[in-house]
Amino acid sequence: MTKILIVDDSKFSQKITSSLVGKNLDDVSFDYADDGEEGLEKFREIRPDYLLIDLLMPKLRGQDLIESVRQIDFDAKIIVVSADVQKRVRDVIEKMGVLSFINKPLNDEKAKTIADIIRKGAQ
Amino acid sequence: MTGKVNREDILKELFNIGVGQAAGTLSEIIDKKIILDVPDVKILNVELGKAELDKFLSQVAEGAVMVSSISFDRQLEGTVSLIFPADKMHQFIDLCLHEDRGEEASMEFTDIDFDTVKEIGNIILNAIIGELSNTVNIPVEYTLPEVNVLNSAKADLFVSDEAYHLVLMMYITFNIEGTHIDGAIVINMTLKSLDDILNTIDKMYDGR
Repeated sequence: MTKILIVDDSKFSQKITSSLVGKNLDDVSFDYADDGEEGLEKFREIRPDYLLIDLLMPKLRGQDLIESVRQIDFDAKIIVVSADVQKRVRDVIEKMGVLSFINKPLNDEKAKTIADIIRKGAQ
Repeated sequence: MTGKVNREDILKELFNIGVGQAAGTLSEIIDKKIILDVPDVKILNVELGKAELDKFLSQVAEGAVMVSSISFDRQLEGTVSLIFPADKMHQFIDLCLHEDRGEEASMEFTDIDFDTVKEIGNIILNAIIGELSNTVNIPVEYTLPEVNVLNSAKADLFVSDEAYHLVLMMYITFNIEGTHIDGAIVINMTLKSLDDILNTIDKMYDGR
């Protein structure tokens, strides 16, 4: 079972992400966190195989969450799913060693990209 | 050297590109074709901007609106708001969630409704401001998006009285398979931000 932690302050986005990504993967379970702080707590507690992280969130922003997660597990597998379309933001985040930076809204094609990354990682 | 009028035209074009991208984005979310008309972008001083916005609020929205807004700072500084007439929002939210509650127009909104409009607004406003930021290569940093339902909304709520601010107004009409929603995008930004954008546009188009 592949454990995926979705960290996003929008329940709407959580629902879309789990539904579209789940449709493209077998044997997967989802956990959710509504902000960066909760995301960090759940990461410690669950130790998910993958994290799908939004950037603009209350309490602890996505970028800070990625840094905190990296301090705990440098090899944590992180995919960013964000509405921020700025090239500079993408550049900064990609340099943090994330597996991919996907722009919202998620559609089937983007969900398949995420599923492919996860599937390859499981092999 | 591009003249003042031309710079304004280019700025309008940049916003139109962002709005066009936002329409595409929204179309992906609801999985339906969206026709999004943006007749014009008006660049106004605070006083004129408020008068214009009050006219919109009284005529189109009849005072009750749902507003999704996000502020940005760093090199560009301001607030952008997406304003919808509240009585159309249940239909709009249902389209986004692919649900049909079959409700009549009402002003009661659940947490899920607010969450949905917040996230849709976030995506649309990121498309508009983010694409502008990319084009002029000036970064912005966003605050958390907010959503509010306001009865008897007045322009004062969206437009800062602070000096050296101006207002960019865009009327937008969403036509989603027969559902017709008249909204507005209001950007209240500092004069310095607009100057920075226009100066960058000048440099880009004059090759300086």
